[in-house]
Amino acid sequence: MSENIKKINRRGVLKNLAGIVGGILALPAGRVCKATVRNALVSSPAPDAYDPTKHKWLMALDVDRCIGCGLCVEACQKENNVPQNNFRTWIERYIITKPKAGSGESRGETFVDSPNGGINGFTQSLVPKEDILKSFFVPKLCNLCEHSPCTQVCPVGATFTAPDGVVLVDKNYCIGCGFCIQACPYGSRFFNPETRTADKCTLCYHRITRGLKPACVEICPSQARVFGDLKNPVPDDPLQQFVANNKIEALKPNLGTGPRVLYAGMDEEVR
Amino acid sequence: MFRLFKMPPQIIRLVLLTIAIVYGFSVAKELLTPPSFGQYGHYRGNALQEIAAREPYWAGRKTCESCHGAIVKKLAGAEHKTLSCETCHGPAQAHVDNPEVKLPKLSYSKCVRCHEALPSRPKWLHQINVKTHYAGLCTECHVPHQPNETP
Repeated sequence: MSENIKKINRRGVLKNLAGIVGGILALPAGRVCKATVRNALVSSPAPDAYDPTKHKWLMALDVDRCIGCGLCVEACQKENNVPQNNFRTWIERYIITKPKAGSGESRGETFVDSPNGGINGFTQSLVPKEDILKSFFVPKLCNLCEHSPCTQVCPVGATFTAPDGVVLVDKNYCIGCGFCIQACPYGSRFFNPETRTADKCTLCYHRITRGLKPACVEICPSQARVFGDLKNPVPDDPLQQFVANNKIEALKPNLGTGPRVLYAGMDEEVR
Repeated sequence: MFRLFKMPPQIIRLVLLTIAIVYGFSVAKELLTPPSFGQYGHYRGNALQEIAAREPYWAGRKTCESCHGAIVKKLAGAEHKTLSCETCHGPAQAHVDNPEVKLPKLSYSKCVRCHEALPSRPKWLHQINVKTHYAGLCTECHVPHQPNETP
């Protein structure tokens, strides 16, 4: 024991202390080096003028205006190179049949279909026309939740809600674990087999940061999709008009996810 | 001062080891965390620019308007006013980059995709039963840009 104590002398302690201080001083130097290397390697040709804290994007969907042409799904796939059989946005057809005679119900069964996400449009349904009480199309996409469950479960901080309200996936950081895909109650996320990461609607982030509309909004022929910036309303703002002229609903509000995407003209069958 | 070192050596070793681990962790965290991490929140701030760096595919109606203003203005007065040019004419970015590149001719399937009668379609939309409507071309009777006019 006495030999061990002897090994710790003043000189040794001072040496160690000097080493620790030197190491601490080396930290900022390392940080500067790393930032320089990163900035040289990662180029960002995106518009520099865009400040995400000065915008708050939102989409609104009018069920009564949707004609089920599926051109938005096609536009999205081409714009974002979405792999086949995966969808960032898709259209569902709801068919509610007439109630059985004498059943005492107000409505019959509900059938929902979305053949290939509606990318090729819709053909006649299998339910005969005479049996249909009512039927309509519902376009779906990421609901831009206020308390998004998908971003909360990410173990590496690869998915997040940007300051402008868009929920994004950092493909360079995503490890492809799929937790977020399971967490989304709207089925808005999918596993991209090409990038091996989670993938989802970005509200066409590369378009809206350049002042363009998202591809689906641009291509929609019937203005069923309304898009706008809540922080910078324009005269006759389409979003404000949408809220003013419609009864506004949201998908699955009872889950507490706070879906921000607005729906109008939705029936209680829509989930 | 030297009273400190009268502690048993195994305790001192433990203390030094703990310091080394904590220090090693903080150095590793500093070096492995991207510089823009935490710029806006618990994620890489640079990811926003990287996602925004993608090139747009659809040119947009405003771009078409800069050259074909007269056609767009005329369209705005008719029933097809809510349509974007590329809704029917298809992606036009190649034509914008080089006006020599012509857009493909349209086929009647473009009309049918929206106007074929389906029970799910809203009532305000003009719908036709394609099989019984007319055997010829749509454009024989309808002007696509001004549907309420006849050619």
